[in-house]
Formats: sequence, C-alpha cells, structure tokens
Amino acid sequence: MSEPGGPKEPPGRGADVVWSVIGTLIAGVLAWGGIGWLLDRWLGTRFLVAIGVLVGAAGAFYLIIRRHGSG
Amino acid sequence: MTAPTLPLAREGFHAPGIEEFEWPNLVDIELFGIDLGINRVVLQMFLVAFVIWLLFFLAFRSPKLVPAGLQNVMESLVDFIRNQIVLEVIGRDGLRFVPYLTTLFTFILLGNLCGIIPPILFPLTGRMALPAILAICSLLLFISIGISQQGFIHYFRNTLFPPGMPPLIYILLTPIELISTFIVRPVTLAIRLLANMIAGHLILSVFFVASGYMLTSTNISTLFGVGALIFSVALVAFELFVAGLQAYVFTILSAVYIAGAMEPEH
Repeated sequence: MSEPGGPKEPPGRGADVVWSVIGTLIAGVLAWGGIGWLLDRWLGTRFLVAIGVLVGAAGAFYLIIRRHGSG
Repeated sequence: MTAPTLPLAREGFHAPGIEEFEWPNLVDIELFGIDLGINRVVLQMFLVAFVIWLLFFLAFRSPKLVPAGLQNVMESLVDFIRNQIVLEVIGRDGLRFVPYLTTLFTFILLGNLCGIIPPILFPLTGRMALPAILAICSLLLFISIGISQQGFIHYFRNTLFPPGMPPLIYILLTPIELISTFIVRPVTLAIRLLANMIAGHLILSVFFVASGYMLTSTNISTLFGVGALIFSVALVAFELFVAGLQAYVFTILSAVYIAGAMEPEH
C-alpha cells in the first residue's frame, strides 16, 4: 500500500502521493477527454475526444511532475 | 443467471453472484415517492452505530488515570488516529478533527468487519449508499474548511489555479484541478472502499459455498473441498486485513484532503 519510507518519512505519506498521482491522471483524462467529447458532439467530428484524452494526460503529467517531482 | 447453460449449475451448484447484495425491505416506508424502507442493511447500520456508541460509552463512562480493559483499547484507538493520522498528516492545527476522523474510522472498520463476523456476514460498506455518504461528508468538510480558513475566493483560486505555474498553462490545468478536487476525490474514496468490500464478500461467498458443495458431494471433489475450506479460512484472515486497511486508507485520505484545504499549497 504505502511506500516503505525512510526513517523520517511519516507513515501514510506514500499512500497520499500514490492516490494523488492516480487521481490527477484520472482527472486529466476525464476533464479534457470530456471537453473533446463535447466538442465532437458540437462540431460533428470524431477525433477530438482522442486528442482531448492525450492533452489531459499530458497536463496531468505536467501537474504531477511540478507537484511531486524531486526538486 | 440461466441455470442450464452452466455445467456446474446442472449438477445443482449455484455460484453466489451480485444478488448477494440485494436485500428485500422488511418494513416499507415511502416518503414523497422516495423509498425509505428498512432492510437488513439498514438494521445492520443501526446496530453498528449502537455498538460504537456502547463501546465508547462503556470505555469512558468512568475513566481511570491508568486505563485498563476496554478503556485501554478505545484509548489506543483514539491515540492511533491522533498520533498516526492527524498529527502526522495535518499537524497540531488538525487536533479538532480527531473526533470526526475517529468516528469515520471506527464506523468504516466495524461496517467492513460485519462481512466476517458471524452471524451477520455481510459488509455494511458493500452497498454504495454508505461509502457515498461518507465520501460526501469528507468532501463537504474539506470544502468548508478551505473556505473558512482561506476565504471563499482565496480557496477556490488556490485550488483551481495552483500557484507558481506559467499563466498560459492554467488553460490546461484548471479543468484538471476542478475535476480532480471536487469529483475524482470523493468518487475514488467511495469506489475504493465499495469495490474492495464487494470483491471480498463475493470471494468469501464463492469459496465457502463451493467448499460446502464439494465436501458434501460423493465423488473425488470431496478431497478438493478440504483444500478449498482451508483456503477459505485463510481468506477470512485476508479480509480482516482488508477491512482494517480500507478503513485506514479512507481516514488518512480524508485527513490529507483536510490538510490540503487548510494550507494553500503543501
């Protein structure tokens, strides 16, 4: 479940980061996939949902790296 | 399920399925077209709530300076939530949430444990209503804490526009933050608990029903029945572990969300 942290690492911190990463990824794909899907319905196209999913995943990765990346 | 299509069903074996989770109303109550009927799950919920009240009442009715017996057990529980969850995740400012998180943890834990305590043998948290309501409680709690600690505008600006990013990137990130904070958080809280309890209950039901079926059959499968029974007992121990773990995860993530709402960016 939680990562085996170092001696100073409080228990549960690992789980916190893991779920935050998963949540952000799901949210990215849902948010931009949803926007793409709505645009598809509006414009009558079929490819925008796929682009939306990719954009959302990219945005989620960016957010995760900025928030949890070692720095 | 259409019985004749399954080879085992033809011999009289009926594998437990999702219908294990459906209970008929014992008392029919309808209010404004909403079904408020009382079924077994509702009774179980009353029972769990009463047991929790009883445990805390008996433990702290006449507290001793040197705790013994039940008081000792319940004090270690509160200490665990206070030290391992609240102080570690939120810090000293979070001590006022110890009562909420302790109640949450105890209720989920006992609700989960109902799945392996005879003669109840049905996890309270295996029905969506309960995890959903608890997740909504945590959602409303962390939103209201955010608003009261940071102010309405500050809270939503800090949440939807995480500070320290290039301005243009907000077009990309704000929809993600909106969905992730206010939708994905409560939904994953509820589904994680629900799915774990449904899966656990189904596995236990299938294993015990199958063990019983094989043990009472008169051919070679009786031998396999012994193995299945031993494995079923091991699975009960595993479910005990899952019950504790899921209660802990739900509580610690609620604490993490509260901590996130109290300070703008951690």
